[in-house]
Amino acid sequence: MPRFMMIAMLIAVVAGGAFAGGQPEAAETESVTISIAYPVAVDAPVAEIFDAYAEDFMEQNPNVQVETVYAGGYGDVKTTIQTTIDGGGEAPALGVMLATDLFDLANAQYIEPMTPYVEAMENSEEYLDDFLPAFLSNSYYMDDVWSLPFQRSAVVMYYNADMLAENDLGVPTDWETLGETASALTQRDGDTVTRWGIEWPSGWPYWLFQPLAIGSGQNIVGESDTEVYFDDPAVIDAIEYYNALSAEYEAMPAGVQASWGNVVPNFVSGNTGMIIHSSGSLSNVLSQADFEVGVAGIPGPDGGSYSVPGGGNIYMTAGLSEAQKQAAFDFAVFITEASRAADFSIQTGYIATRESAFGEEAMQAYISQNPQAGQTRDVLATAGKELSVQNLGEVRNIFHNHLQAAINGDMEPAAAMAEAQRAADEALADFR
Amino acid sequence: MTRRGNPLLPYALIAPTLLFVLVFTVYPTISSIVGSLFQHRLNIPRFREPVFYGLGNYIDLFSSDEFRMILGNTFRYVVTVVPLWVVTALFLALWLSRPRFARFRVAMFHPTMLPMVSAATVWMFFLTPDYGLWNEFLRFFGYSGPENWVSNPDLSLWALVFVAFWKDAGFYMIFYLAGVQNLPNDVYEALKLEGAGPLVTFFRFTLPLLRRTTLFVTTVAVIGAFRIVDHVFIMTQGGPSGRSALLLYHLWRVRFDSLNVGQASAITVILIVMLLIFTVTNFLMSERRSTDA
Repeated sequence: MPRFMMIAMLIAVVAGGAFAGGQPEAAETESVTISIAYPVAVDAPVAEIFDAYAEDFMEQNPNVQVETVYAGGYGDVKTTIQTTIDGGGEAPALGVMLATDLFDLANAQYIEPMTPYVEAMENSEEYLDDFLPAFLSNSYYMDDVWSLPFQRSAVVMYYNADMLAENDLGVPTDWETLGETASALTQRDGDTVTRWGIEWPSGWPYWLFQPLAIGSGQNIVGESDTEVYFDDPAVIDAIEYYNALSAEYEAMPAGVQASWGNVVPNFVSGNTGMIIHSSGSLSNVLSQADFEVGVAGIPGPDGGSYSVPGGGNIYMTAGLSEAQKQAAFDFAVFITEASRAADFSIQTGYIATRESAFGEEAMQAYISQNPQAGQTRDVLATAGKELSVQNLGEVRNIFHNHLQAAINGDMEPAAAMAEAQRAADEALADFR
Repeated sequence: MTRRGNPLLPYALIAPTLLFVLVFTVYPTISSIVGSLFQHRLNIPRFREPVFYGLGNYIDLFSSDEFRMILGNTFRYVVTVVPLWVVTALFLALWLSRPRFARFRVAMFHPTMLPMVSAATVWMFFLTPDYGLWNEFLRFFGYSGPENWVSNPDLSLWALVFVAFWKDAGFYMIFYLAGVQNLPNDVYEALKLEGAGPLVTFFRFTLPLLRRTTLFVTTVAVIGAFRIVDHVFIMTQGGPSGRSALLLYHLWRVRFDSLNVGQASAITVILIVMLLIFTVTNFLMSERRSTDA
């Protein structure tokens, strides 16, 4: 008998332990607790910056507790929020996710519109107008405002100005001069390349490829959220030019370049003359390069300067209480205020999301010391629309598969894009 | 004479484990089977609630070129990495089973202790074309082929194979160590007296004596090969052009990127069926051999 009782007690303890790991009771009395899930996508002390903002906010709003949750990359934040909501739990009140994820998130009802809170603000019109239009355009869907631009960037070309001067070269202005400049900067030691003229990552290719397509005459995405133009001749020309940079100009590694993490170290160490990358790497590049760094948009076939915006917005997740929603919105407004937008931009290299941020003293001082920061913002003036459509995951995957096949030489660009268009039309059929 | 004891005792003892298995294995399996019969797509309003679809998800999957390619990728990946693991683990265990090799055993096990994400990130740098350590190493031995391991469509899958092999060979070595250290000494003494050579000793005595361990290691290795896809996220993201996409990675993409819950459940069921067929076959074949002998 005693042995049986001991075993029964053991089972009871185990069963009790399984149920005991619950969550502590939330202090419902006065304070509201919200958390914000954010990714770290560039080499910058984002975690410290967020913690500082949270502390400042909590000082000004003593009845709100803000927890900052570092969740990995953009995909991890989205997965965290999806699984928590699907599992019936309470997701973080705010999430920083890709601006282009809007349609899928809204359709699946993972996020709440911010419209009622925006309209309740004084000067809501001016408030929205202060955001850079290239960034705010990603926040609208079904007549609602769903997100606030936060860590936004643009595709830029970094070039080693000293290296160009040494070789008597000007800044490339069109496709031909870009190819020739890159070719001139490439150095070889026998058969091995010791310095590439240009490196253009294509492991996750749609974003860095879009400026080429836009410059060529047709963006891969249209104005509506269900139209893509993969098989347009201008897009095919852009792919053929990308391939020509390695095949004819011999200035770029051949095939798909899975080098997003490598090109900045290559550039700052002088092993590459020009790179195409996010403006979010600017701070990192400037702090490490011991030569003059130039920043420009991607040239088009006959000149001009092209780019696309990218990066993340702050979304409000579904399933929160009224008090939490108001607190969450207040925090989102707090961290997108002009002074903080300027501060965030200076510390990380992301482009400040508000016009008034560029008027802040700290920002003006920073730009006068680092004119490149102002140049990244200028690049935005002629930016096209980032690929953002319904069923984005599938459409983007289709585009990636076929674009990479065209770059690796598995398929001819025209055939690859025709197939991509067919598959994308099928994926978008349910949404048209 | 029957033992006196509470007849309910055995059931009470297995109750916690049974509860776990029911909640975490049986229920999700049934839920996936049921879920796979519905069209449930979170980003299309009319399919946000599940709509009955019969075997539609399975038909969509098997008629898709991409899915068939992913099944092919997964098959080639598993068929390469599992024998590599098992054979290497066996030889490491046989070689390092003596006490004085303890430090080497720790060295071989050390990659297993790393999180796969960290290991994959480090390998991404090793695999860099031109100056990455892996390519320098290969060039030292006269290799002069393509160096773009991660974005060359023909090489990307093998890059994943190698990283997974490097990471977990030490883990399976542990199981074989347990088996090897339980080998009967008297058999080997007798073999030494008889003057049996190393090949005979290995193939006709050591291997058959380790059959149970091999069965266990092979089963766990196959399940591990299907289950561990963290390196795909870090290294190739299934590319280029889906040539290194594995089944579980595709499942994640379908469920969380495409928000197609029904199709994700169908892929889950396919995965479970494949693993079940393998495990049962493996078990039956091994048991039959032992009853024949």
